[in-house]
Amino acid sequence: MLNEPKINRAIKLVAKISIDKASQVFSKLIKTGARIEMEDAFLADITSITERVNRENTNVVGAFVDLTGEVNFKFLFHVPIQDSMLLADLMLRREVGTTKEFDVYAASAVQEIGNILASAISGVFSSDFSIDLHPTPPEVVNDYVGTVFQEFLVSAAPERNDILIMESCFHVIKNDIRCHMYLLPLGESEKVLSYIINTM
Amino acid sequence: MSKKIIVVDDAPIIRSMLKDILVQAGYEVTAECNNGKEAVELFRELRPDLLTMDIVMPEKDGIEAIHDILAIDGKAKIIMVTAVDQRVALMKAIRAGAVDYIIKPFESDRVLSAVRSALGE
Repeated sequence: MLNEPKINRAIKLVAKISIDKASQVFSKLIKTGARIEMEDAFLADITSITERVNRENTNVVGAFVDLTGEVNFKFLFHVPIQDSMLLADLMLRREVGTTKEFDVYAASAVQEIGNILASAISGVFSSDFSIDLHPTPPEVVNDYVGTVFQEFLVSAAPERNDILIMESCFHVIKNDIRCHMYLLPLGESEKVLSYIINTM
Repeated sequence: MSKKIIVVDDAPIIRSMLKDILVQAGYEVTAECNNGKEAVELFRELRPDLLTMDIVMPEKDGIEAIHDILAIDGKAKIIMVTAVDQRVALMKAIRAGAVDYIIKPFESDRVLSAVRSALGE
């Protein structure tokens, strides 16, 4: 088992680099100012993180992406359903508020943002840590945040009691859109972290 | 007569963005589809002047589709449209025969410049 300060250092470094890159790409995509802040990066207890997410009662649209390669990650990006419509308007260069109901474009906006962010993160792993990762096509889900998060956890780490989570919050200037993304190493988290620490 | 283009991407919003750019510039988007398998079938049927092609797609990815399309017509013109930082996949696509590439997120100027260049305009 790696010591805790090293783990925290590795987690925060990967999160910071990934989020800086994702922030640039995200702003360009929606053609408006956006800021992504790292809310937290931590090794979480599955029970407590699930309880926390279940306390929220928001209907969200999420995109799951698998990043496969020398090590494997699962990525989740989610946004409240109302905000997915704003994102679609921003991407399609329409007046914000044009989309009144959740439709194929709102779902696709989340799909594509998930795809682009996951690709940006895989690029960081490749360029900064020499870890080649390949994103799979995003899977879009629409459900309560607790259900989406549970599906994310179950498919990723059913045999573990703790998981590594990078949690980020996006602020889109003017519209105050709040999105979250999580990156979860599959299999042995320690192995992944060890790999990263050895390249630092 | 306007040049015919097929847009291939698994994200409807990207297809819509590309279609708007191309149609406003006077091109005819004769078809669109969301995977490489359909792209090959549509190419065989419609013989467009150009395809824009995503790389990461379900069923058949863009690189496999390039091989199949070029096997039908070795002069087919294909521009890859891919997310930032997929350099390895992009190089595979260029080696497979794609004539150019566009990185998502894209600007309309870059899209049109790649299309015009590929079409020899």
